[in-house]
Amino acid sequence: MTASLSIANSASSAAPGSGAHWISPALVGVALLMWLSAMGVFLTHPLSELPLYFASRYLVLDATSLLFMVVINTVFLVICVYLYSRERHTPALTLDIRSRAALMLLFMAVINLGLMANHLVLLWTLIEVSTLCAAPLVARGDGSNPRAVAWRYMLYSSMTLAITFLGFMALTQSAHLRGLEVSFMVDQLGDSLTTEANGWQRLGLSFMLFGLGGKLGLAPLYGWMPETYEAAPTTTSALLASVQFNISVVAVFRILQIFHGHEAGFVSQELLVMGYLSLVVAAVQIMACSNYKRLVAYACVSSSGVIALGLSVGKAAAYGVVLYIVSNAFVKSLLFLTAGRMRAVYGTNQVGPLSGVIRTLPLTGMLFTVGIFALLGFPPFASFLAEMLILSGIVQSGKLLAFTLMCTMLTVIFVATGRTLFPMLWGAQKVAVKVPPQSWITLLPKLGFVAVLVMLGTYTPDLFTDLLRAVAVSIGG
Amino acid sequence: MNLAHNPTLALIACLLATVIPVFFGKLAITPTWLSLQALALGWITLNKHHELDVHAMAAGLEILLIRAWLVPHLLRRTLQGLKAAQHDVMPSNLFAWGVAVALIILAFQFGDGARADVRALTLGVIAATVTIAFLVLATNREPVAQLVALLFMENALALFESLMPEPWPLPVHIAISSLYVGTVAVGCWLVRSADVSGVLATQPREDGQ
Repeated sequence: MTASLSIANSASSAAPGSGAHWISPALVGVALLMWLSAMGVFLTHPLSELPLYFASRYLVLDATSLLFMVVINTVFLVICVYLYSRERHTPALTLDIRSRAALMLLFMAVINLGLMANHLVLLWTLIEVSTLCAAPLVARGDGSNPRAVAWRYMLYSSMTLAITFLGFMALTQSAHLRGLEVSFMVDQLGDSLTTEANGWQRLGLSFMLFGLGGKLGLAPLYGWMPETYEAAPTTTSALLASVQFNISVVAVFRILQIFHGHEAGFVSQELLVMGYLSLVVAAVQIMACSNYKRLVAYACVSSSGVIALGLSVGKAAAYGVVLYIVSNAFVKSLLFLTAGRMRAVYGTNQVGPLSGVIRTLPLTGMLFTVGIFALLGFPPFASFLAEMLILSGIVQSGKLLAFTLMCTMLTVIFVATGRTLFPMLWGAQKVAVKVPPQSWITLLPKLGFVAVLVMLGTYTPDLFTDLLRAVAVSIGG
Repeated sequence: MNLAHNPTLALIACLLATVIPVFFGKLAITPTWLSLQALALGWITLNKHHELDVHAMAAGLEILLIRAWLVPHLLRRTLQGLKAAQHDVMPSNLFAWGVAVALIILAFQFGDGARADVRALTLGVIAATVTIAFLVLATNREPVAQLVALLFMENALALFESLMPEPWPLPVHIAISSLYVGTVAVGCWLVRSADVSGVLATQPREDGQ
């Protein structure tokens, strides 16, 4: 408490009643402007006009950056509305709202720039800068040692990105040995690659995918993800899972776009191994998990595994992968924000004392149930459609063993999640708790997520389908 | 040989600034070695720029002000009064030393042998710095030592620029500098609070944030 207060005091002079109440509405206003800008660009720029280069070609607006700008700014708006509504009922939040809002805005500015980066080193650097913005937000958690968690999060991130950097070095060496100069502009780097077997090039690619895989929470470098998502405040967990995760996805997409037609078999094998390893790790950890927030975090590891498997298939599953990533951004935010409400009422992240949530908190329990079903890939949610597309892509590519293994692991994860969470949701009540009031503004963003998830799974507007397809094509779909 | 235009000496200084503190130094003196590494880096970077234009001046100033002065200064301030400042950067035992030596040799193999070829030497120095930084991260649980390792790693990234046909463009430079300052600012904040309060914030402060 003392440590957290000192942050707040050093970062700003805000205190309850000292005039900081305008900050969260202002944050919602800025988030709304960002969302309107992203939507405005989406609606006014036909896909045929893309890519658009600007800032001396260091930034690019293409289908990939456009899709993720729309997604992350939508999620950010909803998170800000949630934070605004929570602050109204939780005076303690006002203590550090100024520094928190500033860090969140800086984080979003860096992420938006990173999405548009047309230079691989610039993108790499911006991902790391976004981690530096997020670390102080993680340190505001209410766990036993949030700053230690924030430090480990930063350390892991730096290590995974250092591995990616080694990949850049190997690529440079590969080009140099063939008498070529390498440019790290995304649209030019492909020119310095060779279609012949080249050890340095392969080493570079494997380091880059391995390092960025760590940022996505893929095994074996997944350790930071469950710990950080559990220890961080709810809004920060949602930001990391739905916003920062997606910039790492974009970085992987950029690498796949650069290596389009090069080393396809090697990429496929590496992603396949990392994907399966992640599914196995997630399944084992979920079986042993008794903490609902950590369980959601492990489910994120399994989602990363599904994404890696889908990407390993290439063309056949590309559309499914893109749809899965978009849908997952909304699912994760829904789950973390709902978990925040349960934490507020019960004061614990442990599953045990929460038996019968749906009776105590009907709406929250219902939303958490919906989120879990969406996460597990049930109809009518987009994740169901996406998982079906990925599985059918795996079958089409003739990888029947891979198909069997993925189905087995997803079934184990489903059973393990249900065994832990269903008694929590529908079991007999063990403790009586006082339920603090919840305004409709807190519910509204979560209901919005549910509506988007159902819409993506049942009817997607043509304009958005075209955008998803364009991104899928760019990664080899 | 025109020493002013030959980066070999600067590259060797860069390598020594990583190796000496890791093998023989205490954490308290690492800011000085970081400054030395930055000065060597500045020498190499300015050589890389073909003419003294605005970009070259900005890159030089960035290295002098941020890497050679500001960041070591912030780190020195953080280390003042910390018990950990008197600890070794890497545990002093034969096993760690043996691994470190093996890593440096492997790094120069990665760079195709440290022959007279400046490019091979540069690759070797970068790879050695990164792997030694990884070794410090793996062998020392002290947060401030890990922070120093991260800073060595980021200096290696800055040195990587010298392998490119043209210097990094200004936006990339700005982003990399922000990263360096951000790492030390956030790192020092987390490290200091960890040291001051011992076991941190054990009392729940706010629920469902």
